[in-house]
Amino acid sequence: MASAVRSAQARTVRNVVVGPKVGLNNSQRHYSAGSSSGLHFYRNRQLELWASKKPTPLSLRQLVFYGRSMTPERLINSANYVRTELPTRIAHRIRDMQALPYVVVRQEMVGKVYELYWDAFERIRSYAPITNLDENDQFCEFIQGLLNQHSTAIPNLALGLSLTSAYLPPDALDSFFRRMLVSRISRRVICEHHIALSDTLAGRHPDGTKGHVGVIYNEIGIKDTIERCVELLKQRPRDMADDEELKSMGARKGAEENWPTFKIDGHLDTKVSYIKEHLEYIIFEIFKNAARFSMLRRAHGDVPPVIRTTIVSGDEDILIRVSDQGGGVTPEINSTADLFSFSHIRNSTRLAEDRLSALRDASLLERGFTGTVAEQLAQEARSQQEAAKKEEAEPFVRRIGLGLPLSNIFATYFGGSLDLISLEGWGLDVYIRLPRLGTNLEGIEV
Amino acid sequence: MSATLGRRTFGPMAHGRCFRTVRLSSTATGSFHRRTPLPPSEETLTLLQTYENLSPQPVPLRTVISFGEQLSPDSVVASAHFTLTEIPKRLAQRVRSLDCLPFIVGTNPFIARIHELYQRSFSALATYPAPTNIEENRAFTRRLESLVDAHSDDIPILAKGFRESARYITPAATSAFLDEIIRSRIAVRLIAEQHIAVSHALETPQEGGSVTRELGIVNKKTSPKELINMCARFVTELSDATLGTSPRLVLEGDLDATFPYVPVHLEYILTEVLKNSYRATVEHHHDDPGPLPPVVVTIASSLLPPSPQRPAYMSIRIRDQGGGVSPANMKNIFSYAFTTADSKGALSPTGDDGLDGEITGKGLQTGLGSIAGLGYGLPLARLYASYFGGGSGLELVPLYRFGTDVFIKLRVLDMKGGEEVMI
Repeated sequence: MASAVRSAQARTVRNVVVGPKVGLNNSQRHYSAGSSSGLHFYRNRQLELWASKKPTPLSLRQLVFYGRSMTPERLINSANYVRTELPTRIAHRIRDMQALPYVVVRQEMVGKVYELYWDAFERIRSYAPITNLDENDQFCEFIQGLLNQHSTAIPNLALGLSLTSAYLPPDALDSFFRRMLVSRISRRVICEHHIALSDTLAGRHPDGTKGHVGVIYNEIGIKDTIERCVELLKQRPRDMADDEELKSMGARKGAEENWPTFKIDGHLDTKVSYIKEHLEYIIFEIFKNAARFSMLRRAHGDVPPVIRTTIVSGDEDILIRVSDQGGGVTPEINSTADLFSFSHIRNSTRLAEDRLSALRDASLLERGFTGTVAEQLAQEARSQQEAAKKEEAEPFVRRIGLGLPLSNIFATYFGGSLDLISLEGWGLDVYIRLPRLGTNLEGIEV
Repeated sequence: MSATLGRRTFGPMAHGRCFRTVRLSSTATGSFHRRTPLPPSEETLTLLQTYENLSPQPVPLRTVISFGEQLSPDSVVASAHFTLTEIPKRLAQRVRSLDCLPFIVGTNPFIARIHELYQRSFSALATYPAPTNIEENRAFTRRLESLVDAHSDDIPILAKGFRESARYITPAATSAFLDEIIRSRIAVRLIAEQHIAVSHALETPQEGGSVTRELGIVNKKTSPKELINMCARFVTELSDATLGTSPRLVLEGDLDATFPYVPVHLEYILTEVLKNSYRATVEHHHDDPGPLPPVVVTIASSLLPPSPQRPAYMSIRIRDQGGGVSPANMKNIFSYAFTTADSKGALSPTGDDGLDGEITGKGLQTGLGSIAGLGYGLPLARLYASYFGGGSGLELVPLYRFGTDVFIKLRVLDMKGGEEVMI
């Protein structure tokens, strides 16, 4: 009985056991949001301990290999890997945030994320080792809870950084945000992979074991994925702001009649093994942009715009080239890589009013933002229903501007790339490269 | 016997004669083998030093073109003066850079040939009396034309020389040298051609006495469509002649766009890139039945007007399905003298060919030119594309196992946007 209580306590630790005995009374020892920075300062030792460890990145191949011949023993090993890997990765990010200018972390949104990370760190770092399948089940619930709690991190951070970008040089801001996003994705990947493996071993997975190992799906048909995404895009509620823009341009037709024609050529049978959600997200976002710009540009013409996609099955990677006729990137953007930037110095749209308010709303959503197509569609469906209930003509879709930066991270995560080349006055060519060997390690800590 | 021989062979008289003989016949392929070439004359050396010390700054393109704006005998004479100041400066710098090559490289007969040529051209222009009237200018212009002509094979000759010297100089140093000399060459030709054009224009009066759009090196209404079609016709012939077939060209985009530019530059760039695309397409689909996939060329002109921060651009994208460039080759495609053409279609690699006439060798066999092989096409095309600065350039994106996209972004030379164009 006593041991159960103790172990329960160990799992729900919220106050730190270790701490310098510098005359702090008990109440001050308790973690609380809004505690002064002075207390945090003296409690950094545990953090530094974990941050001094190196994270252990995995490759696609390792993730797949590990999941193939699953046994209870291997599953428990996986659980303990996650158990120690998470606090290491989180600790690194907290240290990163501690290095930011004071004024930046004091900003409300960034501060929220900082507290969130500390909370997660405290909870996971003292989680007891997992020794059997039951404990693994509880562990899975625990990490799912952590993931859910952190789903508001991205919009909060994006908003906070946009608002404080005057205090950070663009390079520092972009590399910081990138590390945060990559780390977050990496933690999702190892958690979700482990949860999926647990479900599979327990026979709980809805899809069974066919065609995937954890979050990695083998033999994803590129052409099929594109066609599916295009269908989903077509049915999406339109961006009313776009409709307004079209009207103000004197377009004869609305957005619907201007829906582009999609053509696919190249090596049509190409298949790839990848994290399915990531691949879908990249394709969805890229085609979303291509369609939008195509419609806006060609509103006056009689010929519907064409978006041409070429799939290439290379030796070491697969390549998807998406060519639109949307006019290309606006000349204010110096280089297309700036589109991935969160610094308003590089990309002035980051501080546009509508962008900021959309981010603000996104950061307040309970469900948060996880960067998947399914979530986006669900969110849009909900807003559509709500607007219908209120009988408002609210814009259904609001752009928060994370599509390209996230797609870039998903593409480069295992060593691929995302390149945009603008043919000024004509259109944009997007080149998505994904490695197929699967031996590249997760690109964390870059 | 041996003692007598000894005195004859190694005596002071014999030695003196050797020395004298060599000094007199500097260019003779005579009996004595000299290992060091002779320096230029005293006069030339002095002149070189003078011109070297003059400010070697780039000049605004605007200035070069200005001489053609209000055509008159005075402006043409002024143009001649300008030409006689600017060109020798640049030639002097080229002589110096050739002087600075490693000795063994400098003794390569092809490099040496160019070295000498530059010295002579420099000398000729540096000592040429500045024309004071149209008559004198006519003679000067003819001289200038013949000089331009004499230098027309510089690049292939240097190419040969550097290929043979590959053992003695790093690729990086070769590239740096070639980049500089080619840039300088472009500038010299721009200045020379501008003066020649202006002189001719004065001599052959235009209707209405006004300056046409074609005056000088910049054509205010350069039509990408016209040039692309022209270059495509040439490359098609070349491809048919050397490879037996050719893909067709599809042109799309802003077909009626025109912009101020130097047409010969665009011609060169287009020809080189199209050659690559056509060759790759034919070779990659060698075993496929059915028609060859076309080469698609897209013309795009900037939407926004130029601003002080940013010039306007004309962009051209050339897209082929020629199989692309392998990752291994990618790091080499912009380096000089790298080529994927095999020895059947082009010159063979490093230093094994004979000395004579092989430079544009295989190309001469078709009477038209070679579709591939020197390995200078892409680096030169890129140099031309980025010559006028302001963010212009050439970018190549490989889709290995499928094809290649080449993006050419050219600066509109209307002097309205971005920083001043300097040459």
